[in-house]
Amino acid sequence: MSHGVKRTREAADVLAARREKERSKLQAYLELTDDVVARKRAAVFTQECFDLTTKLLGLNPELSSVWNYRRLILLNALFPNLSPEGTFSLLQSELNFTTGALKQYPKTYWIWNHRRWCLAKVPPGPEGAPVEKSWKRQVWARELFIVERMLDADARNFHAWNYRRYVLASDPGLRSPEDELAYTKKKIEASFSNFSAWHQRSKVYSALWEEGVSEDEVRQVKDAEFELVQQALYTDPGDQSAWLYHRWLIGNGDDTAVLKREIANIEELLAIEPDSKWCLESLVHYKRLLAARSQPDEAAQLSDLKKECNTMLSKLQTIDPKRKARYQELVL
Amino acid sequence: MDTLLIEKHVKYIQSLGENTDDLMYHMTAHLRLNAIYWGLTALCIMGRPDALVKEDVIEFVMSCWDDDEGAFGAHPGHDAHILPTLSAIQILTIYDALDRADTKRIVTWVAARQNPTGSFSGDQWGETDTRFAYIAVQALELLGRLDAIDKDKAVAHINRCKNFDGGFGATEGAESHAGQIFVCTAALAILDRLEDIDQPTLAWWLAERQLPNGGLNGRPEKLEDVCYSFWVLSALSILHKLKWIDSEALVKFILSAQDPDGGGVADRPGDMVDVFHTCFGICGLSLLGYPGVHEINPIYCLPADVTRKKGLHMDYEVLGKDET
Ligand SMILES: [Zn+2]
Repeated sequence: MSHGVKRTREAADVLAARREKERSKLQAYLELTDDVVARKRAAVFTQECFDLTTKLLGLNPELSSVWNYRRLILLNALFPNLSPEGTFSLLQSELNFTTGALKQYPKTYWIWNHRRWCLAKVPPGPEGAPVEKSWKRQVWARELFIVERMLDADARNFHAWNYRRYVLASDPGLRSPEDELAYTKKKIEASFSNFSAWHQRSKVYSALWEEGVSEDEVRQVKDAEFELVQQALYTDPGDQSAWLYHRWLIGNGDDTAVLKREIANIEELLAIEPDSKWCLESLVHYKRLLAARSQPDEAAQLSDLKKECNTMLSKLQTIDPKRKARYQELVL
Repeated sequence: MDTLLIEKHVKYIQSLGENTDDLMYHMTAHLRLNAIYWGLTALCIMGRPDALVKEDVIEFVMSCWDDDEGAFGAHPGHDAHILPTLSAIQILTIYDALDRADTKRIVTWVAARQNPTGSFSGDQWGETDTRFAYIAVQALELLGRLDAIDKDKAVAHINRCKNFDGGFGATEGAESHAGQIFVCTAALAILDRLEDIDQPTLAWWLAERQLPNGGLNGRPEKLEDVCYSFWVLSALSILHKLKWIDSEALVKFILSAQDPDGGGVADRPGDMVDVFHTCFGICGLSLLGYPGVHEINPIYCLPADVTRKKGLHMDYEVLGKDET
């Protein structure tokens, strides 16, 4: 699977020259893989084998079987002779090894997996030490630091976001929900189109609200969130990340007061940006939610809402022709 | 480039096994069995299932068997993993040669990958991912042994990976991603639980993957890529909403990612081709009703004639074909 590698056409003589140059490299690589596979098959677990896996994984971190072999060597040959301190220090050097590999291959699943395995093996550390001084806390704090540096380099790397959620779940004392909201806000403000951060923010709030928060509190928080989204929508009304988050805040539209207020706000934006697809798309969705919640004595309002939606849907067919069939289907 | 260069692509796929003096060939050994499945599937869709030597392929598949584990590795000498195990089963299914494998042991091994939470791991080391749930479900269905797992728990876990935007992530809490949406939607199709999906919301999210240049991305505000053509399209096809995107523009985009000289399809126009994007580009064209190619069944990503013969799920949409 290759992504983002420009195609180059090699002339026959260039190709032959490259292969000639690569020949010794290829030979060495094949000899090393054959050697490691043979040792693994014979279940040889020694420091020498361990060093060979370091060399081979340095050349190719995609070899999951070699990562497996490395773990078997750690379990069978290296850990048994070590004190807890020795085990901890060996695991730290394992973690450093994978940090180097991740810098080069940030999207290779096996490297992330090996890291998780190492973390699960960290001994608890000296007895009686305060939590802040425990080995577990030390490693998880470092994990969080490293994964956040990776998100600085690529704010949408989903491996890193998933890994970060796992780190936070593994040591809940590391970050309070408030810290986490501040982190996602920082990411969002750095780039409103970072949907990964909006998504994470929705998860943090969902978890908080599941713990039992009064309706009033939820409404207050949501009002502040609507203001944050509003900023993003005005900055770039064509950016779908903020619109998706807005839709999450509205939910099924049971709070009709909020629903009506937000419809009015979007209509204001539409007045400035009359051809904004996302304004129209969202207005159709929200007005339909409102229509579904109208009372039997509001027949006139219902018929108005329907008409408005249909007008917007026919405009959408013109300004967003790629999705024309969907808009046609939604016409009532 | 306004046509599918079938002859070039067939030659490209046939040539893949010949580059054994190239370092890159050996550096991708961990994907060998998957690559053969991608190549063979693309060939079937182009109407050339005999372009590889069947006996050689089957022999290679069997040489990847990990007898300690009772499942397949990606390459001879590699450990068993659920990813190459599905590729092996798919290749043997296409060739109607499942009797060559110890399917009883495979069923036991795959079923043992289910965790108490209902999720699936890729191997004994425990990484979980909704991809592995789909793989387990498809593998067991191809072997006629879907009863070997706890289906309700599998469904419940997939549902816990669902997000407010209608999509699915790799694990609980993870962001929606077109690849994970494909595997979760197809798994729920096989498990007869499509009603668990918020279909209008998901189909809307999928339709919004199409960018002005016709290509599809895998998440909001990301770049287009040919492989997403298949992940997004197959989910839309299973939901019968293929018409919600501009198929003509997407066909053009996929065709423009072909290498007109050496054959094969790349992630984007002008990039290096590979067999993965070649397979998913051509399968995408099949769902879009591109003339002259055979039908792919998006639920399994297998040729439709193969799944029809086995009496598997066939409820999906293909453009230009009368809906039943
Ligand atoms: Zn791709």
